[in-house]
Amino acid sequence: MSASAFNPNTPTAFLRAEPTRLRQWVTQRPANLVGCCLAAVVLGAGTYGAVMGCWRDPWQALYTGIKLPLVILLTTLGNGLLNGMLAPLLGFNATFRQSLTIVLLTFATASIILGALSPVALFVVWNTPSLSGATQLSSPEYGFMQLTLAGLIASAGVAGNVHVLPLLTQWTRSVGVARKVLLAWLAGNLFLGSQICWILRPFIWDPAGPTRFIGREYFRGSFYETVFEAVRRLFFAWG
Amino acid sequence: MNDLNPTGPIPPQLPTPTYPIRAPLGESPEEREPIPNLFAATEAVLRQPRRVMYHLRQPGSGRIVIAMLFVAMLCAAGYGVVVGTFSSGAQLWIAPVKIVGGLLLATLICLPSLYIFACLSGSQARLMEIVGLVTGLLLLTTLLLIGFAPVAWLFSQSTDSLAWMGTLHLVFWGIATVFGLRFLENGFAHTKARSNAGLMTWVVIFVLVVLQMTTALRPIVGTAETFLPQEKKFFLSHWGDSLKSSLD
Repeated sequence: MSASAFNPNTPTAFLRAEPTRLRQWVTQRPANLVGCCLAAVVLGAGTYGAVMGCWRDPWQALYTGIKLPLVILLTTLGNGLLNGMLAPLLGFNATFRQSLTIVLLTFATASIILGALSPVALFVVWNTPSLSGATQLSSPEYGFMQLTLAGLIASAGVAGNVHVLPLLTQWTRSVGVARKVLLAWLAGNLFLGSQICWILRPFIWDPAGPTRFIGREYFRGSFYETVFEAVRRLFFAWG
Repeated sequence: MNDLNPTGPIPPQLPTPTYPIRAPLGESPEEREPIPNLFAATEAVLRQPRRVMYHLRQPGSGRIVIAMLFVAMLCAAGYGVVVGTFSSGAQLWIAPVKIVGGLLLATLICLPSLYIFACLSGSQARLMEIVGLVTGLLLLTTLLLIGFAPVAWLFSQSTDSLAWMGTLHLVFWGIATVFGLRFLENGFAHTKARSNAGLMTWVVIFVLVVLQMTTALRPIVGTAETFLPQEKKFFLSHWGDSLKSSLD
């Protein structure tokens, strides 16, 4: 591929670009790159979200199609300041804007992968009987669908981060620093992202009510408290 | 976007803070650049800590120390407001006041021991340099707390659990303090101290004092009828009681 064929307007440019090219985009054309990343997140994650939600009904598809990109963008913005501070402290002396752009680039890559996996997800969703039929919340089919959808998101997230690692390595000239920065960003984004997902649930189906943009549990409790409580109950039961 | 010049020059590598710790301060011209205002001090502490360390050793460093302390207290107050949003009402001003006051008090309590430990270690640092390094520790810690503030706010609005919020704030403070203490340790390395043992001892003391301060000034996250507690408690016992009442 000739060098002039690189263009951040095309989805494949994100995936094919060498670290040098990505760095040029981050430093020279941040506004254009951010625009492309936003479009990738909205389209890629939005499509995947719509597929997740369509298992219940078209409204849930619309809501989840909006909510999934929203989770990504809110996580990026919510951790923007922290990620920008952690980068120089861990040895990656990028500006706030550059840090924010790289994190967004990670999510954009993951979103493009999610968009590409949407047909696979749709196939799984289409093959899972609806809850009004024989499938219950405890049915293995439902569990399989949930795990598959979550697994695809996790895989896309990992791929997005791995894709940015060479850029950080080239920029910092140290694999160790690049890994530390990426790990710190990943941990922070995972921590905040989980809670934002918790607040914006349901993504697939709310057994307690009609289709809504945000469930009744909005701003009530936290993801980690619920996990902690579940673990406590489990150990208590075992005791 | 097609007009990106693929053969154009790659922007120069930004200066990284991974200098050899023991290289003399001020060796690079960038480190000798003056720190003219609050913003420069804040940015330098994050990106060019050696520049701050160099200027703390120069005559007239008191101005930088005051600037850093001012920003640190501003950030602490900002994070305090976020802490206060959990309970709202009067806690919106009580929490920032207690956090700013507690940090200042803990620092004042610990500062003499750091200077003495530094002298015992053979350090050639002046008192103002030690004060400056501790101020840098406070500034870096509180700046990172501001970075954590959006996350803390989100959880404050989501949960009713006092124990959970207290734990979360402590974790955030712990992470921020690790980076702050790293700044202090790097600065201390340039004071010609023979050993780090004194500094490490001081770090333990400082952390314990700050943790006890959170109990001495309780409640910071929750509410109470009085501004200060009526009962004296050790922080571990306070945490145990809070966890127990939260789990019951």
